[in-house]
Amino acid sequence: MVEVPKLPWRRPGGWWLRNRRYMLFQLREVGGVLSAVYGVLLLVLLSQYQAGPDAYASFLAWMRSPPVLVPTAILFAFVLVHALSWFVLIGKTQAVMSAGRAPPPRTVIGLMVGLFAVVSIAVVYLVFGGP
Amino acid sequence: MAEKIVAFRVKRYRPESGKAPFYQEYRIPVRDDTVVLDGLNYIKDHVDPTLTFRWSCRMGICGSCGMDVNGAPRLTCGTFVKDVDRGGVTVDPLTGFDVIKDLVVDFEPFLRHFLHVKPWIVRETNKPLSEGEYLQTPEEMEAYHQQSLCINCMLCYAACPVFQGNAKFVGPAALALALRYSRDTRDEGLDERLGRLSTRDGIWACTFVGECSVVCPKAVDPAGAIQSLKVLASIRHMRRLLLPKSARR
Amino acid sequence: MAKDETVWNPGWDAFHANPTAEPREPEVVLEPLFWGLFSLGGFLTAFLLPVTIFLLSFAVPLGFWPADRLAYDAFHASFQSLLVRAFYFVLIVGALFHGAHRFKFMLLEAGLHKHDGALAFVLYGLAILGSLGALYLVLKGWLL
Repeated sequence: MVEVPKLPWRRPGGWWLRNRRYMLFQLREVGGVLSAVYGVLLLVLLSQYQAGPDAYASFLAWMRSPPVLVPTAILFAFVLVHALSWFVLIGKTQAVMSAGRAPPPRTVIGLMVGLFAVVSIAVVYLVFGGP
Repeated sequence: MAEKIVAFRVKRYRPESGKAPFYQEYRIPVRDDTVVLDGLNYIKDHVDPTLTFRWSCRMGICGSCGMDVNGAPRLTCGTFVKDVDRGGVTVDPLTGFDVIKDLVVDFEPFLRHFLHVKPWIVRETNKPLSEGEYLQTPEEMEAYHQQSLCINCMLCYAACPVFQGNAKFVGPAALALALRYSRDTRDEGLDERLGRLSTRDGIWACTFVGECSVVCPKAVDPAGAIQSLKVLASIRHMRRLLLPKSARR
Repeated sequence: MAKDETVWNPGWDAFHANPTAEPREPEVVLEPLFWGLFSLGGFLTAFLLPVTIFLLSFAVPLGFWPADRLAYDAFHASFQSLLVRAFYFVLIVGALFHGAHRFKFMLLEAGLHKHDGALAFVLYGLAILGSLGALYLVLKGWLL
């Protein structure tokens, strides 16, 4: 190949700051990782439950103490962003996956949000015993 | 139509000068219907003949005039100046590619990835001419139509942060074309293509940022195409692992 | 790419398509499996995690839920149900594999391309260990 002198391309650090959608992507990724963090918390909760009433009670109290609740609230916000972005992604893939026969993305997202509400209520009753 | 003067800040790079790239400002007349490409051509024709850039059809079908306008990859023939004038218009070469001169980028990496997916009908044997044409229903054509609209403008590569960080990533347009040919009923190459693309720098490098589909001027939706390929590759992979004999087609 | 004297631009190599050329990179073996678990985990965390976080962390301090309904005795009673055990198990496993996959790609994009194998080993390994732990904890006192 004839060698042509070129100015090489380098991706800048902080590339996600260029654009709102890049930023949302990074938030979504962080939301996914923080979901795993709460998964670990659930794992610890189960292990404390298996260790007995005192261990369980003190861990639950720790989870609800203000210095833990504040980061948990931030984590919760990220998990909601992650959940909503997941519905949007599923909506976006339906069109191509079904070669155009799927309903429009907005309909799919709306259906998923509706399903989310139904499933959440089901969890409140079936897993946590209802209000 | 009233004319106004707009400032174009254009990135210049002259390799023979040994100097770093710099922005050069040109103040040129524009009207409501002036597109960025018109502005660049005005500069070249009347102000600075050394400005170098690619263009051809000026109507959004050849894919030659892709550049970064105010930081976003656009076809300059389809971008009205009045829509992007923010106290001036900034034009840079397309993100993600080495620059040869001014606004001209080296798209060899794209061509390599493009060839890697075998963007043509792949068959065991071709039908002899005596048997006539390959017949296809409108529904069969619809199955691959959207991805066939790609004009190879590379805006999706400029938009993709994965490609920007890893030039070995096969990339949105090439993968969309892999799906286009695989979904064509005349093609028998799905298995081979999935084998070539189910790799670290193939479909699995994609993290579904989705910016490629946002910037595509032809609504090809490469992001959706890549997710479809991931599903197809996973199914093929499971079949090869669990039923190796039946997977040999 | 051999030099081709018959092309219109002699001196430049022509890009000949080579239909019999071998693919350059080996196929991935485990990635589709982890992507599948990541996708499943994405669904599970999207649908099940928000309400779980709200009830376990916030509902009692905010006064929406009586504390005794989530205290040890109530939890122990609900944990006898297969559904509740399965719920916690799939939620933990889904969240771990989803987060491991995303974190791996975050680190790769941050520049650790060369360490793809090591990152996969560590992150998916941790997810597997966590999942085994979850399996043990939901089966203990029931089948174990």
